Amino acid sequence: MAIELLREIRLIDPVAQVDRLATVLLDQGQVRAIDPDPQALPEGTQVIEAAGQILAPGLVDCYSRSGEPGHESRETLASLAAAALAGGFTTLALLPNTQPAIDQPALVQNLRDRWAALPEPSPHLHLWGALTQGAQGEQMSELAELATAGIVGFTDGRSIRDWVLMERLLDYAGPLGLPLMVMGQRASASRGPVLEGVEALRLGLVGVSAVAESSALTTLLELLRDRPARLHVMRLATGRAAALVAQGKADGLPLTASLSWLQLLCDTSHIDGRRPLPGSDRPPLPYDPSLHLSAPLGNPADRQALIAALKTGTIDAIAVDHAPYTYEEKTVAFAEAPQGAIGLELALPLLWSGLVMTGELTALELWRSLSQRPAELLGQTPQPIGPGQAQPLIRFDPAATWTVEPAQLQSLAQNTPWLGHKIAGRVVQTWLPT
Amino acid sequence: MTTASWTHRHVLSLAEFSREDYDTVLTTAASFREVLSRRTKKVPTLQGQVVTNLFFEPSTRTRSSFELAAKRLSADILNFAPGSSSLTKGETILDTAKTYLAMGTDIMVIRHKQAGVPQSIAAEMDRLQSGVSVLNAGDGQHEHPSQGLLDLFSICQVLNPQKPSIGDLRGKKVAIVGDILHSRVARSNLWSLTAAGAEVHLAGPPTLLPREFAQFLPPTADRSPLQIHWQLEPALADADFVMTLRLQQERMSQHLLPSLREYHQRYGITRDRLRLCQPQVRVLHPGPTNRGVELASDVMDDPALSLVPDQVTSGIAVRMALLYLIGGGKG
Repeated sequence: MAIELLREIRLIDPVAQVDRLATVLLDQGQVRAIDPDPQALPEGTQVIEAAGQILAPGLVDCYSRSGEPGHESRETLASLAAAALAGGFTTLALLPNTQPAIDQPALVQNLRDRWAALPEPSPHLHLWGALTQGAQGEQMSELAELATAGIVGFTDGRSIRDWVLMERLLDYAGPLGLPLMVMGQRASASRGPVLEGVEALRLGLVGVSAVAESSALTTLLELLRDRPARLHVMRLATGRAAALVAQGKADGLPLTASLSWLQLLCDTSHIDGRRPLPGSDRPPLPYDPSLHLSAPLGNPADRQALIAALKTGTIDAIAVDHAPYTYEEKTVAFAEAPQGAIGLELALPLLWSGLVMTGELTALELWRSLSQRPAELLGQTPQPIGPGQAQPLIRFDPAATWTVEPAQLQSLAQNTPWLGHKIAGRVVQTWLPT
Repeated sequence: MTTASWTHRHVLSLAEFSREDYDTVLTTAASFREVLSRRTKKVPTLQGQVVTNLFFEPSTRTRSSFELAAKRLSADILNFAPGSSSLTKGETILDTAKTYLAMGTDIMVIRHKQAGVPQSIAAEMDRLQSGVSVLNAGDGQHEHPSQGLLDLFSICQVLNPQKPSIGDLRGKKVAIVGDILHSRVARSNLWSLTAAGAEVHLAGPPTLLPREFAQFLPPTADRSPLQIHWQLEPALADADFVMTLRLQQERMSQHLLPSLREYHQRYGITRDRLRLCQPQVRVLHPGPTNRGVELASDVMDDPALSLVPDQVTSGIAVRMALLYLIGGGKG
């Protein structure tokens, strides 16, 4: 890395609440000056005409899934790291439901060692520890010992179905000082692949009742009252759930929330394959198994409510919830497909073209939800961009078009409804402080 | 036969059918009905073409009906059944379809217990530019277009035996009774009957007829409205046709119904209840029927009331029409 001058770039800094055009001088990837005197540039400065591009903090993903260990044909740590960097994610937090699950300090250390052995550069890695043994939701992990291994919090990457266990987990793990992250999903009367409603009826798919989420969330919030525990609710999917989180926060509960980026862009009206996907001029394949998600894809009104809750900050963060699966695993009927889709290389370009370009989110709101708040959830204190601050930065070109195809993806998996689509937006440069 | 207006490569859902499409199918089916009444019931229309029945979900009746229809059109038939397949050996549904494509299949007739599989295979066939047509023979709870069309044909034949046309259905009252929620047949019927301008009334217990069905149809001007009833009587009042649906035994264990007995008491179609309807009312059922549950035995066996045997016979003519329409331009 040399001395670089980014001319007329759009500087987006959610911490400083700055969104303006600037000329930025970088020295070895660190900001040396903003709008420096053009007559007094250091010798050998490389000038980059960056009009139309964006300079912003590196993105932070608060949870994604790794294939390694256990399912290396889906994704290895090396391909995951490469996919994250290609998508602008300079910090990554992994869910513990690998094979074996990350439920002991030795396994945490093992994963760290594997990560350290990757060919550099790779994003900063954080790990979630399993709430229960094997992340099976039955028996508590040795949480106190696990807490000393340097994890960011406890989760099984799903809901805890046993309410007695959930209550004990909050009691036992709360005082350890780390957050507990769970999905709000009650065992539903109907276990279907989408949220209930007229779209599910038209599609002939079993609809999960919205109450499966909201009733679980209500119980969780009651359990949280008067307990010394911090709770993070992941994968919000319904407007009702967002309203409950807003109420819980207004009551002063130690509560944060996030959702999967796909819930902001897609809804049940995309499944029949007739409406174009956001950020593309083409619809997805009909009944594309990549739209079978956890939590199940919501209805158009839910999507609008979730966007609104993100704008107000009720929902703190957008998670990528990257879920790689092989072609064989995903080439089955919609309802029988494993849940989830890849996203590390797609989230930024598609959220930008699908929500910022359309005016539904501001650039600052997007960066707050994809960088600042996720970093805070992982226990970091993000700093404003400025001289003297060593922090990961990315240069994003919203106009760069590319086709989502295996040759263009770092990820080993291709389970995304945008596969084969031409989309706009690509991270063109990443600066990772060492 | 005039088929100039026909533009569909696949038949996947009746949601995409226009009024002209329905009339094309009805007219074509009527001419095949005439063929089926001849001494020699076979025509050479699809000679040399391969029709493959890909029935991932076992079925005897629908498969037999398609098989006979294809044979009457002189096509070569291949049958795939999952019991004898390699689906459990790591082969995907698309691999299976591509295997039959490589054998030279022209038309795939597909049934699967999950919604969307025929659509996925059709999309893959189009991506490969194979020219293969896919006919949905029932996908999960989504649709069963050939059943919807044969129901339409049976009804229109009653209204106009010589020249059945969907125009004859305008303003007629049709009640669909039973387990609407789990029925792919009802979903296909909803599209065809409302396109025809019939007054459609759905009746069933709230657990099997969610209120969202009232918004099932997109709000467009050229469809007749839909009404839902959790009581049977208002749906039957002055009805011209009553379509009954099969009730699966597992609905009790899913806490959707207390018992078959109570279901029959509240929603079973009996001779007594049919007195609420028009005097010439006709009753349909896609089969197989649970006698004494959704339909009383004596109603089912009464030729003055039941269209069930006509539905089975019409089924062959309608499926011949569909195979002819999507296969006619090939080869």
